[in-house]
Amino acid sequence: MTQCPECEAAVVNHDKIPGEVFPCTDCGTELEVLRTEPFAVQPAPKEAEDWGE
Amino acid sequence: MSEGFSLGVFYTIVRPEEKAILAAADARGIAVQRIDDGQTTFGLERPAGLPDVVVNRSVSHSRSLYATRFFTHYGVPTVNTPEVTELAGDKILTSLRLAERGIPTPRTVVALSPEAALKAIEEVGYPAVLKPAVGSWGRLMAKVDNLEDAEQILEHKAALTSPVHSIIYVQEYVPKPDRDLRVFVVGDEVVAAMWRRSSDWRTNAARGATTEAADVSSELRALSLKAADAVGGGVLAVDLMEAPSGLVVHEVNPTPEFKALTAATGADVAGRIVEYAVRVGRR
Repeated sequence: MTQCPECEAAVVNHDKIPGEVFPCTDCGTELEVLRTEPFAVQPAPKEAEDWGE
Repeated sequence: MSEGFSLGVFYTIVRPEEKAILAAADARGIAVQRIDDGQTTFGLERPAGLPDVVVNRSVSHSRSLYATRFFTHYGVPTVNTPEVTELAGDKILTSLRLAERGIPTPRTVVALSPEAALKAIEEVGYPAVLKPAVGSWGRLMAKVDNLEDAEQILEHKAALTSPVHSIIYVQEYVPKPDRDLRVFVVGDEVVAAMWRRSSDWRTNAARGATTEAADVSSELRALSLKAADAVGGGVLAVDLMEAPSGLVVHEVNPTPEFKALTAATGADVAGRIVEYAVRVGRR
């Protein structure tokens, strides 16, 4: 378990893998898994101009 | 799976799509190398330990362009190829190719400077749709209903400093029902198709459109495969609209998302991508 860097809510690692993005269940900020051992997250990268499908 | 074969997944962020691809490879006993596009460097000499094939899942068009070139340079095939990535990742190049192949597509006019943009919009006629040539998810798209709209949008575009915004891609607004079609093509097969419905004129799933499975008629199948083949083939999502004149192709996406498609249709899209990539890696 770690904390959301935005709202400090508890963030739990449920089978997440490095690089995975998911929203904080409390504040909705998109987070990215930095590593799983120990579990750490950071705000997900912002969409760049050339991002898409 | 034979010993030593490995599949690379080149990614920016790990979304449900990338997780599904990793799981599909794992389920088939295929070793996977995860390659983070923000952490990798590329030299001119082939490095050791490369995978046998790379599935490009980077969301960045620029990173995709160069990475697929480097992997190809190292002798590692990529899904999609650099040529497909370049062409399908650019709406202008895609429109040109669709037109060359006689595939119905909305009327399109491109202006290479903001000064010529108003002329391009007037040539297309109102209402018109302005789209960035690169990038998607419906961002920075604008529906222009009249001259006043056009002047305001172009004033905003002029304030954006990136050269990307000085190239203006204008398409006719197709008076479609409140839905469009996404058809997922892998190799020479249609894997699944879905309707995307939205009260917004943009029907991107990323913008909250609702989705449901669509039947694939022989006409839809043939047109989708033709559009995928036109850009070079591979793993592609073909987006079509129901224009008064019939189906028109408005986009062919080279690194498509498929979470919504999988949910709507139950198709094993990730599995099909992995199986296709393995075939490419063994050629």
